[in-house]
Amino acid sequence: MAEERKFGWGPRKDNVLIGKSIQRIDGFEKVSGKAQYTADINTPGTLYAKLLTCTHAHAKLKKLDVEPAKKIPGVRAVYIFPAGDLKAEGAGEIFWDGTLIAAVAADRPEIAEDGVKAIIAEYEVLDHIVDEEDLKAAEAKGATKAVGKNAKGKVEDALKTAKHVHKGYYGVHTISHMCLEPHGTHCEWKADEVLDIHASTQNVSGLAGQFAGPLGIDAAKVLVTANFEGGGFGSKFAADEWGIAAAKMAKETGKPVKLMLDRATELKAAGTRPSGYIDVTLGADETGKIVAWDSHHWGSGGISGGSIPVGGIPYVFDFENRSRTATQLNCNVGPTRAWRAPPHPQLCILTHCAIDDLAMKMGKDSYDVFLTNLEQTAGTAAHLPETYKAEMEIAAKLIGWKEKWHPHGKDAGKGAVKRGLGMALHTWGGGAGGCACNVKIHADGSVESFVGSQDIGTGTRTVIAITLAETFGLPLTAIKVNLGSNQYPASAASGGSITVGGVSGAHRRAAQTALWKIFDLVAAKYKVDAGTLAAKEGSIVSGDKKVCTWKQASMLLGPMGLETKGEGPAEDGLTSSRVGGVQMADVSVDSETGIVRINKYVAVQDCGLIIDELTAKSQIYGAVIMGIAYALSEERVMDKKTGRYINADLQNYKLPRIGDIGEIVVNIYQPDSEYSRGVIGLGEPPVISPGAAISNAVANALGVRVPVVPLTPQRVLAALSKSKGGAA
Amino acid sequence: MRDFDYAAPTTVAEAVQLLQSHNGAARPMAGGTDLIDQVRVGRLTPDLVVDIKKIPELTAIDFSTTGLRIGAAVPCYRLYHDAQITAAYSALTDSATIIGGIQIQSRASVGGNLCNSGPAADSTPSLIALGAIVVIAGPKGTREVSVDTFCTGPGKNILERGEFVVEIKLPARAAHSGSAYQRFIPRNEMDIAVVGVGVSVTLDAAGQNFVAAKIALGAVAAKPLVADAAAKALIGQAVSEATIQKAAEAARAIATPIDDMRGTIEFRKHVTGVLTARVIQQAVERARAT
Ligand SMILES: Cc1cc2nc3c(=O)[nH]c(=O)nc-3n(C[C@H](O)[C@H](O)[C@H](O)COP(=O)(O)OP(=O)(O)OC[C@H]3O[C@@H](n4cnc5c(N)ncnc54)[C@H](O)[C@@H]3O)c2cc1C
Repeated sequence: MAEERKFGWGPRKDNVLIGKSIQRIDGFEKVSGKAQYTADINTPGTLYAKLLTCTHAHAKLKKLDVEPAKKIPGVRAVYIFPAGDLKAEGAGEIFWDGTLIAAVAADRPEIAEDGVKAIIAEYEVLDHIVDEEDLKAAEAKGATKAVGKNAKGKVEDALKTAKHVHKGYYGVHTISHMCLEPHGTHCEWKADEVLDIHASTQNVSGLAGQFAGPLGIDAAKVLVTANFEGGGFGSKFAADEWGIAAAKMAKETGKPVKLMLDRATELKAAGTRPSGYIDVTLGADETGKIVAWDSHHWGSGGISGGSIPVGGIPYVFDFENRSRTATQLNCNVGPTRAWRAPPHPQLCILTHCAIDDLAMKMGKDSYDVFLTNLEQTAGTAAHLPETYKAEMEIAAKLIGWKEKWHPHGKDAGKGAVKRGLGMALHTWGGGAGGCACNVKIHADGSVESFVGSQDIGTGTRTVIAITLAETFGLPLTAIKVNLGSNQYPASAASGGSITVGGVSGAHRRAAQTALWKIFDLVAAKYKVDAGTLAAKEGSIVSGDKKVCTWKQASMLLGPMGLETKGEGPAEDGLTSSRVGGVQMADVSVDSETGIVRINKYVAVQDCGLIIDELTAKSQIYGAVIMGIAYALSEERVMDKKTGRYINADLQNYKLPRIGDIGEIVVNIYQPDSEYSRGVIGLGEPPVISPGAAISNAVANALGVRVPVVPLTPQRVLAALSKSKGGAA
Repeated sequence: MRDFDYAAPTTVAEAVQLLQSHNGAARPMAGGTDLIDQVRVGRLTPDLVVDIKKIPELTAIDFSTTGLRIGAAVPCYRLYHDAQITAAYSALTDSATIIGGIQIQSRASVGGNLCNSGPAADSTPSLIALGAIVVIAGPKGTREVSVDTFCTGPGKNILERGEFVVEIKLPARAAHSGSAYQRFIPRNEMDIAVVGVGVSVTLDAAGQNFVAAKIALGAVAAKPLVADAAAKALIGQAVSEATIQKAAEAARAIATPIDDMRGTIEFRKHVTGVLTARVIQQAVERARAT
């Protein structure tokens, strides 16, 4: 029967756990405060480190005197970062507000803060540029760089003959990473020069080397642990200079050092999602089919690049005649890091707002224009046009598109508050990441798994437990999941929505391998055909007949139990990639105050086989909330005069409140054709569409486009005033 | 962080003595929701924090036919949990329900909100609209001042060394009167006012004409503004959209907001007008409902 032993998921109807709505196995620990995050690690003698940053956008460091800090009782170490090291070659020039200058470690956080305040730093302030939107001003200052241009077809001709042509301007401002748990580490040197690190990281297996190099030790001497994590979103792959600082201060003092970024530094230095602005002209034939696209987009990812690349525009779609150009602005602003689905949210806004305005200009229903163009979805797996169509139909039903839609700006209501509908769609890869794991079945039947992956808050532990429990026919409680340590088999960093595929594929392989071995032993012992065996409800069964209990079967493994290795990804059907999603927003806009309220938000998403419907839905809810944030209020505000990041605190860095969220309806699109695709990640995709969908809903409500996201009341009123001939 | 001492006197006299003896480096603390944060970030560096919540007068509420007396340390939630206060002084309970969230409202006091003297404080425009009198104790005894003149600039007020606010007195509510407070914030809750408007109106018995009115604006100047011109536009006039728009226009005209990340001058002036009209409307509805 051996040839039938192929890795794969079971028939959908037989699943006991997979695809059901299952609460997280570590949920209680999290809500009760029992879970220890990096910020909670306080081993005896731990010192607390605080940071001095430069608050100039561009400056020359003239003097740095840390001696006054060292004199404060309770201060144990002062560390100078490369930017503050005046002895280093070419040092001293600072390019953005938030640049790390020095760190102080002390017995108490307050003392460390006093130490930071005592440091004397003198700067010569230099000219800066922080306006990422004003392309002309940046060009005048020589702060731009062409980053690509490519074209196909005959754009000019197509625009000339197009029935409808729309010219528009759209944008999205920079936002900062805003993990609930800031970046940071707790570093402790143990016997034999072993560095024991607790890190808030998305990259448990990949961090040791990043510490070992700068510290001059072997990677083998670095232990990395991350048991719980308050979010990463693409910003936590590196050791980071503050991590190295903590390790060095721990070494110097002989005491553990904890360095978590304060909120201001977190917002300024821990990475941003770059801005994007676009001038675009697009043309359509009489049916609304887009026949030409001509665009130039720009934005800034900081002083050293990282803006939105030229590819990817137009988003989801590609048109026969298409030209695109991209320019990067080198601004004196903090650096970018991957931000949940980079850079799709920006691409989606820059593209789908333009398409929606084209529909407005044609006097057409946006839904119909998106639908008409589905056949032009670009370079993606062939299933997508049909999938999008099915998802659009579901989303439209859920939001009541047909009943509620009115032409742009034609809300029949008399009051100041106008209602509108908008939509957008998105795509993402989400293929399985590299993962190795060991699954151990003890002789008493208990099951453990060891994997160097991490649960960044997405439910990785639960997904692993479900995979193993389903495979072995055991309850979830029978499974112990060990992850978050680089002492376990290496697993890829959690970025790109690759973790769920990575861990579920590898664990399924390890578990099936183990199960086959057990079936052979059971077959020999109980004289049954191994090919007829299955693991169900704590037993090994042959057809309807119970052969033995799981415990009896495990005893056959002998005192050492059984350990199997799982690896991935592999082309065996357990996992695949490429997802799509459709989102629709129903908003109310107060045309007198500019306030936008979400009435209802619908997110329809495919992502292959769902392991846990509850954690999958949670990802979508969370993504939509994050999307509403950057659609309505979240942005980095740079002061043009001083070049400073002036809202780097949670009072002024405006994340939505619960009352801003409205009703969210999540629908996972999973017909059997999706189930059979295997597991695909979905952490990122649902965060892509909200900016465009909400902007389009506001445009539908008002009949006026608010060109730049977030749609703050002031921008809404400015757009309305401009449309009436007033000043913007 | 600077070390400080803590004292919790039980009488007004004792508190005055403690505040006076520290040469300006003593700070009263009611709920501490402003104070503790300001000490942590180093904006305030007191040597002594005087907790005034143990003084019985400071946490007393007295509602009678002659008016309302609120101890300066009474937390917000006690105001809006009181049906009589909510009915008679709606503007004040409107404010109390939106200062922070539930946790903050369990600690934060109207006295602290007033004494912190932030231009965007949410209860001060309501106190002005309702004609509040501030009772101040100090080394020279007790004095009473109109709340209109209490704040003098951002974080500044008329309190002198050794003085603190004991209670806030509000006159009895007039017949056919109603009051309201609303603020404009970009988010739904838990945000700093970009514009705040407190309004109190008294109508004639038929509810058709404005007999008296008082309007105050928050967050659009260095201190809360008494919008007399706006009130004048109402008094003696018929309740109508046109009258209300005139008052709104007058409020708009006196606002002198700054340009900052919360909004441009133009935007804030515009919203001042919109909000003033809406709050007057709400106060009228409440006046008519009684
Ligand atoms: C999360 C959060 C949200 C907030 N939201 C809002 C909001 O929406 N709207 C708003 O207006 N405010 C808000 N605040 C600010 C604050 O809560 C209010 O100003 C509150 O009313 C202050 O009252 P308190 O009793 O806590 O004052 P305290 O912090 O105790 O005192 C404030 C100041 O007044 C002085 N003081 C206190 N009592 C007296 C007295 N009797 N006599 C003389 N001086 C005195 C203190 O020395 C201090 O300087 C918020 C604060 C936080 C932390």
